[in-house]
Amino acid sequence: MNRSDLYSLTPLLILSSAAILNFFSISIKRNHKVIFAITVLSLIGDFIFLTSYSLYHQQHIDPLLVVDGFGIFNIGLILLTTLVVALMSYAYFEQREERKEEYYILLILAALGACIMVISKHFVSFFLGLEVLSVSLYSLIAYLRTRERSDEAGIKYLILAAFSSAFLLFGMSLIYATTGKMDFGGIGYYLTTTQDIPLIMMAGLGMLIVGAGFKLGVVPFHMWTPDVYEGAPTPVTAFIATVSKGGMIALLVRFFNAINGYQYESFTNLFTVLSIASMFVGNILALRQTNLKRILAYSSISHIGYLLVAFLSGGSMGAQATTFYLVAYFITTLGAFGIIATLSDQHRDAELIDDYRGLLWRRPLTAVAFSAMLLSLAGIPLTAGFIAKFYVITAGIGTQHWLLVFCLVVNSVIGLYYYIKIIAVMFDQKLQIKSAKELHPLVYVISSVTIAVLAVFLFWLGVSPEGMLSLIDDVI
Amino acid sequence: MQPQNGIPIDYYIWLAAALFTIGVLGVLYRRNAIIIFMCIELMLNAVNVLLVAFSTYLNDAAGQVFVFFIMAVAAAEVAVGLAILIMMYRNTKTTDINILNRLKW
Repeated sequence: MNRSDLYSLTPLLILSSAAILNFFSISIKRNHKVIFAITVLSLIGDFIFLTSYSLYHQQHIDPLLVVDGFGIFNIGLILLTTLVVALMSYAYFEQREERKEEYYILLILAALGACIMVISKHFVSFFLGLEVLSVSLYSLIAYLRTRERSDEAGIKYLILAAFSSAFLLFGMSLIYATTGKMDFGGIGYYLTTTQDIPLIMMAGLGMLIVGAGFKLGVVPFHMWTPDVYEGAPTPVTAFIATVSKGGMIALLVRFFNAINGYQYESFTNLFTVLSIASMFVGNILALRQTNLKRILAYSSISHIGYLLVAFLSGGSMGAQATTFYLVAYFITTLGAFGIIATLSDQHRDAELIDDYRGLLWRRPLTAVAFSAMLLSLAGIPLTAGFIAKFYVITAGIGTQHWLLVFCLVVNSVIGLYYYIKIIAVMFDQKLQIKSAKELHPLVYVISSVTIAVLAVFLFWLGVSPEGMLSLIDDVI
Repeated sequence: MQPQNGIPIDYYIWLAAALFTIGVLGVLYRRNAIIIFMCIELMLNAVNVLLVAFSTYLNDAAGQVFVFFIMAVAAAEVAVGLAILIMMYRNTKTTDINILNRLKW
């Protein structure tokens, strides 16, 4: 390891030192404000440091990591997402009685794991990044110990995530058994030298896809998603929905480009089935829900289905559409969960649709921002979600995936129904009086400004996406 | 490179696959959370057997190094898992996962 390697890894080093700093700070004195300040400042500092890299930065840290434009872009995305999650966590955890400080350590470590994942080009770093992310998530999900359902969500996620990691590992070991290689490049090279893939290798890749599918929550591996989304604290739910899934998608894009997986019909067929099943199951099961977090969970299942359409298109167009979709989806999901987090009181989360009845008349600005997020999820013009969906469809048509594009369009219509239903509830005039313990107004200012900024980004990307598109074009 | 003690390399694949399958069936059929953790450990150890066998067979150290990482991660996973299990036991006074059905549909 030389100096330029260290320079390329500095964002990860900053994250890990922030975690250690938080650790010491807690051992000296528990103070929510101090920990929060350290976390936010280190995330901002890390992002500023990241912008000092050139877009064409390319540093191979053999054999484990590669820091390139795509990786840097994804690290930036993860850092900003973690920052938003941390900002919305302050008000959420301040009103709860439990110990709040360790939460930020776990959050930083989870972000660190995701960052390792998006720059890994070797099975070892892939697995380690994934596990650092998952083990932090186990404790984050079960963080509110006294609340009922948090233990259930924690255990469910723990068992299923460990189970899927075992599948992932067995797949890796079978691939290693045939190729003798564990870096993506070496496996890609092996595949170019053989005519047809041996059976063991095929089984290994299949199990790898099962493991990755569990983390992404695609049908038929989606069972944990709604339960965990409902049981976890709302900021953690936002984190799972964005960073944990986005990191996996970025890794899949890198892996499939390295082994050139798009040329094998069996894989593209498999992903087509997964994508179509996710779109339909996610949207249809969302129709009958009355719990907002579960609706967003099923909606995230179908959104991963849409993402797979872009992913399947392959090539630079597919990668571009995937990345742009991820950005738009991150902004929208963070906004939606951020609003749920701000509306929650100390006893329970504002997760039932009835909590939103007449929201427009009680808190007009919040209701407008929430409507914007939901419309973006549905893919209505002027929002980032529309441009993202437009690019996905363009990528799908460009590579003649007609069936997928057709299913995507049908599902957008189904999805519109339940998004509009929530908006209609907010317009309902029947007023509800809700008494909640009011915190210092400054606490809410942080959350409100965060959501306002997200809403501005949502419209900005929806009206003039050129800047973001050219940035994505440069890094791919 | 000769396989060790003349055991054909195929046997290792079958052994690992058998162990892995036992683990999977255990996770699917047993209802006690501690036994489920044990079955997950069994699955991870099946992976370790396979990696070590092929690492020796291919004369490549990477597989054995990976085994150490897997063991460390498995230990971390179980540590956090047992902590969550204790939390669940305090709330429900049981380790039977059938009781966890409050989150549905």
